Amino acid sequence: MVDQVLDSMDIERERGITIKSQAVRVLYDARDGLTYEFNLIDTPGHVDFTYEVSRSLAACEGAVLVVDSTQGVEAQTIANASLAMNANLEIIPLINKIDLPAADVDRVKAEIEEGLAIPADDAVAVSAKTGIGVPELLEAICQRIPAPTGDRLKPLTALIFDSYFDTYRGVVALVRIVDGTLHKGDEILMMAADVRVQVEEIGIRRPMNTPVDELAAGEVGYLITGLKDPSLVKVGDTITLAKNCASEPLPGYREVKPMVFTGLFPLDGDQYSDLRDALDKLRLNDPALIYEPENSHALGFGFRVGFLGLLHMEVVKERLEREFSLDLLATAPSVEYHIYTTKGEMLSIHSPQDMPDPSAIERIEEPYLKATILIPPDYVGAVMELSVGRRGIFDTMQYLSANTVEMKWAIPLSELIMDYFDQLKSRTRGYASLDYEFSDYRESELLKLDILLAGKPVDALSFIVHKDKAYDRGNTLAIKLKEIIPRQLFEVPIQAAVGSRILARTTVKARRKDVLAKCYGGDITRKRKLLEKQKAGKKRMKNIGSVEVPQEAFMAILKVDE
Amino acid sequence: MNALLNKYQALYLHIPFCASRCNYCNFFTKAIAADSSEISEYVDKLILEIRKASRAGELSNIRTIYIGGGTPSFIGQRELVRLAYALSTAMILNANTEFTVEANPDSVQAAMIRDLYSLGVNRFSLGVQSFNNNELVALGRRHSSAQAKAAIEVIQERCENVSIDLMCGIPLQTINSWQQTLTTAINTEVKHISVYPLSIEENTPLYESIRLHDIADEDIQADMMLKAAELLTAAAYNRYEIASFAKQGFKCKHNIAYWTGVPYLGIGTAAAGMRHLTDGRERLLDGKVIETLNKKESILEDVMLALRMTNGVSDSMLKLAYTYIPKLAQTITSLYDQGLLRRTADAYCLSKRGWLLGNLVFAEIWSLA
Repeated sequence: MVDQVLDSMDIERERGITIKSQAVRVLYDARDGLTYEFNLIDTPGHVDFTYEVSRSLAACEGAVLVVDSTQGVEAQTIANASLAMNANLEIIPLINKIDLPAADVDRVKAEIEEGLAIPADDAVAVSAKTGIGVPELLEAICQRIPAPTGDRLKPLTALIFDSYFDTYRGVVALVRIVDGTLHKGDEILMMAADVRVQVEEIGIRRPMNTPVDELAAGEVGYLITGLKDPSLVKVGDTITLAKNCASEPLPGYREVKPMVFTGLFPLDGDQYSDLRDALDKLRLNDPALIYEPENSHALGFGFRVGFLGLLHMEVVKERLEREFSLDLLATAPSVEYHIYTTKGEMLSIHSPQDMPDPSAIERIEEPYLKATILIPPDYVGAVMELSVGRRGIFDTMQYLSANTVEMKWAIPLSELIMDYFDQLKSRTRGYASLDYEFSDYRESELLKLDILLAGKPVDALSFIVHKDKAYDRGNTLAIKLKEIIPRQLFEVPIQAAVGSRILARTTVKARRKDVLAKCYGGDITRKRKLLEKQKAGKKRMKNIGSVEVPQEAFMAILKVDE
Repeated sequence: MNALLNKYQALYLHIPFCASRCNYCNFFTKAIAADSSEISEYVDKLILEIRKASRAGELSNIRTIYIGGGTPSFIGQRELVRLAYALSTAMILNANTEFTVEANPDSVQAAMIRDLYSLGVNRFSLGVQSFNNNELVALGRRHSSAQAKAAIEVIQERCENVSIDLMCGIPLQTINSWQQTLTTAINTEVKHISVYPLSIEENTPLYESIRLHDIADEDIQADMMLKAAELLTAAAYNRYEIASFAKQGFKCKHNIAYWTGVPYLGIGTAAAGMRHLTDGRERLLDGKVIETLNKKESILEDVMLALRMTNGVSDSMLKLAYTYIPKLAQTITSLYDQGLLRRTADAYCLSKRGWLLGNLVFAEIWSLA
């Protein structure tokens, strides 16, 4: 049997993470002599996918909360546990990887009780690798998780908790029937999308799709309607029958909103339409992905793409490059700013380029997050220093156990997406864990900072920054860019400016020497190969005016250490 | 193709042995004991190859011979004499045949020079690198400045055509110490001086230690190369190639063969050869073809190599090149506009800045291939 059956994407297997939820139905012969039908959903754990996870949880009666016996409770554990509690699920704590020498089951039990307020006496200790504890887990699921309730005689309500795209069949929705029954050929209504459509096929997943005639209250399965547009099949939406309509949709639906935006540009301008096709294809399985064309003076035609978060962004970029053989240049990520103009309008902008002239701006608001950080007590000072430096506002602090402190902060999202997590990890020697959720929009004094290369502003290098940080960030970025941009035939001045005010200036000196001095019989081939390699390296750079700029220059702002 | 034109005119013999490896070296050579039987076995093999080439008629048009390494002088008088003797019986060796042997100062002996000279060797190329002892230590060279001077004198007693290699950009080197090295070199009255900026190659001890110590940066190396051109030219060493300076009448004919598309034969491990095809050329290594260049590529290679030399690429050569590669005209003009090339009466050649930025020029030209 293949390992990691459900984490089927290359990226999932390589990174050991789950990006896309998976659902499966299995039958289990329990010790009490009864056969139980399990409908299992494997969900991502990362904060970027919180909404997806919450909809999967809404489809369930119980949750197995997996805690690593060598790591203990992490911020992500708390976030997902509270999602499960809010959904009124029966939670079975599971302590995994107990085959490892560093496993500390007692400590982890204590953390579960103190940190999550979940009784841990009956936590199941498991090694998924060796199989120890797995029979106990299956028994615990039978005994402790209630069978689904629901009334098959009521009007149909079914929750879409996930969807994927099948090239031949169109969008396949994964659904949990809450009340009523669903049959092949029924005309259904998707309530939030307000779409009426006929059911082509229903079935169950074990894990291959297996058609059935009926799905009834309590059951989980798939639904094919022939719809080709994934944006119509919304995760969280409620399905009911067009003719015998439920009076109310199921609670909890919301539109998925991207939080982080970046410009994606093909290095080779000819790949623009390939990039568009690739995004269209990825979107079929990832409706949270949104994009619109963006035109940059410096980088040409590309797309401004919105993501759920940084991990989502990384995964999408990697998939575009790997699965579609594209060479992409990404600009530094941005957030959605709300700009209130002197004319009384509110503009949502996702790119520094769209920032209006300062004279037209009355005030700017930016998204803040509620961040939860778990750390050993020794690192409280380090987290304080980092977070205050990133304009964080301290909220609360509490000891979850003698070894674990939970801190809560309000932090601007724009600061968090600047290597905050990397910094947090490095300043706490890897002990910190972080989780966050959107909090609110707050007014900030923000400016657009421009970078000029050889006297010309480069739109793709502009960024939005808090007034108090403009000088520091401008200065460090100018220094950083000087390191990144190689010496060229001519001197290249680098300037950081707000409007017409120059905040910082550095200079990339002109090239003086680049010559292969020794070039005799046997050297000629080798040296020509070297020139070819140099040339290939240049191709990976972007020509902006007469300046060759390496790709990492566009991400340099993220690496501006303070 | 004219069969005679495709006759080898230059012969290279490789000696892949050294007493020890220098810190910057990534050449094909290995450190070995001087009395190792491997050396004479290798020379036997070379002699066999020379005989084979001779029987095949491949040596009948040879004008220059170059024994390089490694360290040819390291294998000693006896083995070198065997090799030179084999050559003298396998081909016509006369006073017009330029016959160079590379040597290191620590393995030059009067008797060796005497015997080789009498067998037709008429040029010695000495790996001096620096006349500053600290810099020689930094490079991991086995000789001192005094030994280098002594070796030059020993050779000069027999043979006036001595060339030395010098390096700039050595760790610890300053513009002052470089100037002293150049002055010392000029005072030895050698006929030919090659000047190389030290390049740090991967997989060398120097590469590893460079991360710990400071290496002369691009600007200092540029200043040093300019200083070399200035002092050597003033002392009547005329630059005829990027790295090569010679007194009147002492340019290295063998190296010029490499830069002018002349077919050359390589004998020995890792020795490269080149011969023309009807529609291009091929390069050989260890007797095997390692690459084939089509006509267009061959022409571009010729243009690139011609630009290494002071005379540059002539209008007549360009005229022919443009018929195969029309885009080249535009590239040449743009390089000229960028100040990397300059015009002479009937050619384009590297400008003062272009001498130091040759790679940018060559890369542009080769990118048309």
